[in-house]
Amino acid sequence: MTEHERTQVIDSSEETRLLTEVWRSPPGFFGWFTHVNQTSIGKRFIITGFVFFVLGGLLAALMRIQLSAPENNFLPPDLYNQIFTMHGITMMFLFAVPIMEGFAIYIVPLMLGTRDMSFPRLNAFGYYVYLIAGVAMYLALFLGMAPAVGWFAYPPLADARYSPGMGVDFYATVITFMEISALAAAVELIATIFKQRAPGMSLNRMPLFVWAVLVMSFMIVFAMPPLMVGSVMLALDRTVGTHFFIPGAGDPLLWQHLFWFFGHPEVYIILIPALGMISDILTTFTQRPVFGYTALVLSLVAIGFIGFGLWVHHMYTTGMPHLASNFFTAASSMVAIPSGVQIFCWLATLWGTRPRFATPLLYVLGFFFIFVIGGLSGVMVASVPFDTQVHDTYFLVAHFHYVLIGGAVFPLFGGLYYWYPKLTGRLMNETLGKVSFWLTFIGFNLTFFPMHYLGLQGMPRRVYTYLEPLGWGDINLFVSLSAGLLALGFLSSFINIFWSLKRGEPAGDNPWHADSLEWGTSSPPPAYNFRHIPVVIERHPLWEYQEGQDIPVVTGIRSDRRELLVTSLLDAHPQYRAVMPGPSVWPLLLAVAVGIGFGGFMFHNIFPVVGFVLSFIALAGWFWPRELTREVREESS
Amino acid sequence: MNRFSAIDASKLPSYAFSHCVPIWWGIIGLIVVEATVFASLVISFFYLQTNFPTWPPDGTQPPELLKPTLATLVLLASAIPMYWADSSIKEGKTFPLKVGPLISIALALAFLIMKVIEYRDIGFRWDTHAYGSVVWAIVGFHSAHVLALILKTSVVTTLAWQNYFNSKRRIGVTVNGLYWYFVVIIWIPLYMTIYWASHLLQS
Repeated sequence: MTEHERTQVIDSSEETRLLTEVWRSPPGFFGWFTHVNQTSIGKRFIITGFVFFVLGGLLAALMRIQLSAPENNFLPPDLYNQIFTMHGITMMFLFAVPIMEGFAIYIVPLMLGTRDMSFPRLNAFGYYVYLIAGVAMYLALFLGMAPAVGWFAYPPLADARYSPGMGVDFYATVITFMEISALAAAVELIATIFKQRAPGMSLNRMPLFVWAVLVMSFMIVFAMPPLMVGSVMLALDRTVGTHFFIPGAGDPLLWQHLFWFFGHPEVYIILIPALGMISDILTTFTQRPVFGYTALVLSLVAIGFIGFGLWVHHMYTTGMPHLASNFFTAASSMVAIPSGVQIFCWLATLWGTRPRFATPLLYVLGFFFIFVIGGLSGVMVASVPFDTQVHDTYFLVAHFHYVLIGGAVFPLFGGLYYWYPKLTGRLMNETLGKVSFWLTFIGFNLTFFPMHYLGLQGMPRRVYTYLEPLGWGDINLFVSLSAGLLALGFLSSFINIFWSLKRGEPAGDNPWHADSLEWGTSSPPPAYNFRHIPVVIERHPLWEYQEGQDIPVVTGIRSDRRELLVTSLLDAHPQYRAVMPGPSVWPLLLAVAVGIGFGGFMFHNIFPVVGFVLSFIALAGWFWPRELTREVREESS
Repeated sequence: MNRFSAIDASKLPSYAFSHCVPIWWGIIGLIVVEATVFASLVISFFYLQTNFPTWPPDGTQPPELLKPTLATLVLLASAIPMYWADSSIKEGKTFPLKVGPLISIALALAFLIMKVIEYRDIGFRWDTHAYGSVVWAIVGFHSAHVLALILKTSVVTTLAWQNYFNSKRRIGVTVNGLYWYFVVIIWIPLYMTIYWASHLLQS
């Protein structure tokens, strides 16, 4: 296109005013329950996720106090069991998955250059479901009837016979309910990534974080349903006397298969978006395209596939046939290959550059160190004889905290420091950020590395105390003190979040000189995300545009209603303008209706029926076209 | 920085069909999720079977084949009027959309009634043995889907009678049809599992 053919775009203030009006979320207390904009919902997911992270961390602190001395009486055994169960449930179900989804919901549409997710109301519904599930779980804890069977809730311990009371009922129903939220988010992330990329952003120009979220979403779609089936079966076993997991009549191992078929991919569901964050943070802080884009994408997809072939390595000690053990040993070792590809591509990206050592990059480098240790102990426990030796000891606790905190929480905090300016318009304090990184990094290693040793010495996990003559007291005291250091590290990051909210340095649109589209709009983004939908001609759109150069954009999207551009799946050719739904209270009502159905099941069999009927009413209200006559009129005119 | 218009979207349509529309992918996502749920149930059926010397366990006859097969044919038939309605609206014919779904709903209801009659005196309950648990779970879960399908389609039909749909605005009909075909088709492996597998495994 030559210069003189270009039509200059003039921002009319009238149009901007219309856009602001149309995309605005209703203010006020009651308005809060009708928000559907992706930035609003994404922020809620992130904040709620961090609240649960703090709660889960407090539970961990209680456990560390109990374990700081042999035969300690700080927590009674049953309460200890409830607390370690809730710690696991919180971190896996209420923190890790929702917060990754929260970042995805907030960041991905901005990276794609679109104005909202495909199904904004479903998005809001997913949040309420998550909130209700989390509150219900903690209500159970404060009423002293939380589950006390571990986050994996193995029968027969979790059966009605050995776990009377409401604890496991809470677990089974809340988990099933909670998965609806994850599945809804996954499906709409897939639809959004497939259909709403800015024109020209073909699949091979997507930022790696978007690729990672896509792989994560596909994994959720296949991993969560078996868990839902399992937890419904568990609930039925406990309430109406079915025999699924009853020893002798059914098979407790069936639960382990269903649970770990979900549970192992779950680890990758948490890890993969973190890998995407790392790639994008590295690109920004080295100011060069990431090395091996294609290899990184393929290894993300490969991890997604292999992640489904590993679940039995959680079950080596249940007496599997040897052939099965061999197969899963091989598969478990194989996942090291794509993980290694990632690490080497990142090292090559760093090679010969002078990276900017800001806090987000520090967290990424911390990830390298910790995750490699976690990966190495992972290769160790992938082998049957070694696993049999350390099974159910603190070696495992050390291993999976290295993998999960190292693999997900460190990149997550990197992502937090990285995208905080986009969310709030202000940078987080850099000095405090560096302090928090070093406290977290040192505190983490001092807490969890000695656990390898404790595990090799035979200290069993999930047990509320240990005996004096075993001589583990000193190391446990050291671990507990180090956990305090780790907590201090996280605390300083949270202080930083609050402090910077008002006093942080104003960020501007693109404080890091990053390459992807989310930095191409103001910080925080307006309700409509982009004044003009950008046109993408390269993998690093923002680096393409030099100062003073004209930027190609899309015009002609209506400003007087919520409209966005839908593009083709592979090449992102513009296809049509879709009209999006506005604020609505129906998502909340549906979440409550579904909650009544699931939650009530603990008390009476009639509630699922009630929930079914209420859900139908809520869904009909949700989908009923309110402006029926107006829409028909508009079209015929 | 100056911006120039590279694409004028006002010339693009404000509607689209089938896989161009995000909701089409949303329904496909839902179908994949539900198919995984059903697959987990079927796998559980065969996993539990390995624990028993006979399957169904001693004292339980495998279900008869004739009536369930008839019911399956009724359910399969219910997809035909739905397809008729779905393909007619593409050409702008609205009448089939007003009648077709009603026939489909009637057939689906007939299927549900046949299931209720069948399981009222099937001879075992969900708490009789693991076989009973998994069979009741599969049939119950699928029947809940058929019920949801009937309710969902009744909303679409009501809108059709209010002349809401036309040859441009028909994505609602498309996705409702997709979900209908799914619930019908997924019954085939479930039917094979519950009825044929129970027979073949016992002999």
